[in-house]
Amino acid sequence: MFNPKDIINVIAGNVKATKNPFGIPKFLVNRWHKGVNLPQQGDAMLFTGLMYQFVPFIEKSTQYLEKYEDTALADAIRYVKYVPSYFAGLGLSMMTATAEKKKYNTILQNIAKILTASKVDFFYRPDLDDYSGVLLYDLGDQESFVQHARYVAEKLNQAGIKKLITVDPHTTYALKILFPKYVNSHFEVQTYFEVTRFQSHNGHRRISLHDPCFYGRYLELSDVPEKVLNSLGIECTAVQNAGLFTSCCGGPAESISPKLSTQVGTRRVTELQAAGEKIVAMCPICLGNLKRSGADVADLSEVIAACIDK
Amino acid sequence: MAVLHPNFAKEIEPYGEDSALACFNCGTCAAICPLIYKHFPRKMIRYIQIGAKDRILENAPELWKCLHCGLCTQTCPREANPGEIILELKRFVVASWRRS
Repeated sequence: MFNPKDIINVIAGNVKATKNPFGIPKFLVNRWHKGVNLPQQGDAMLFTGLMYQFVPFIEKSTQYLEKYEDTALADAIRYVKYVPSYFAGLGLSMMTATAEKKKYNTILQNIAKILTASKVDFFYRPDLDDYSGVLLYDLGDQESFVQHARYVAEKLNQAGIKKLITVDPHTTYALKILFPKYVNSHFEVQTYFEVTRFQSHNGHRRISLHDPCFYGRYLELSDVPEKVLNSLGIECTAVQNAGLFTSCCGGPAESISPKLSTQVGTRRVTELQAAGEKIVAMCPICLGNLKRSGADVADLSEVIAACIDK
Repeated sequence: MAVLHPNFAKEIEPYGEDSALACFNCGTCAAICPLIYKHFPRKMIRYIQIGAKDRILENAPELWKCLHCGLCTQTCPREANPGEIILELKRFVVASWRRS
């Protein structure tokens, strides 16, 4: 286990300097929209919160943390805070494989396709799409979280944004619950699967759906994706521990203890594999950690987008 | 020997939940917690109740093992919200670190 104080200092320092926890310049993180024809005006803004884009960088940094956890070198992480954020972020970005980045960009491109197929009046403004700061909240750095959330909310408010369409449970929770509570910013927030409505009978398959903690318990949205999948002809097999009682993927501990994260993730993978069908996740943290724990996992957006008539 | 701070539950109120005193230590939270680790989070809540502030600060890194998954809060028979209490303690500890 790493010293939480060191990890918090590094993450808070990066968010303060670069507005994201890894210190990577935004133009290197948020590239999924390049070459994609997306509307710039509409009723609701697609807000990714950059979480899917972060997964390849999380995977790379976790590989290093895993290597040094509980070794004599683990303490060296306290000195990372002295490395300028952009410098460390550029290094991490260069070490992360382009193929991995593309994989997660495809997830967001699929979500845009789903919204288009559902005839949702949405638009995308990369300049307004920022990290929500939710990790700072989870780590207990309330002061840094509030400061960052205020920055994100003010930008959206100044642009006159009222409605947001989100793509992951952590950002959804931040915008729907934490922003009104801590920075008095109220947006109408819906996840992409809540507005998914298109006809298709291309499904014809069964899957094992993993409910993330934040959709299952905190936001109580677990029934929605299942209904969407059923309407497309896809059946969800019963998974041990689901909905309000879903099991954690272990992902949230990966910055503090990759070992612990893998232990918890491996237990969840066993439950999901017992259901016997292709495992499908709908959270970038779950997706990354279940994969790291040995599962073959698809994202919900991939399964839904595959049903769109060509 | 531990020094007890009888007003500790009051001291941490600005950091979030004020439900630690509602807990009757049944251990449901520790039984369902995916960490399966040394009576976590019950132990921490007990420390609040008896004012064992120093014990919390000494064992502070354990708080960050919490996945914030919410299973303890979902199943707490006293609705004492153990998950949010752990988050409250994290905030208290971070504020202590920043002050020192």
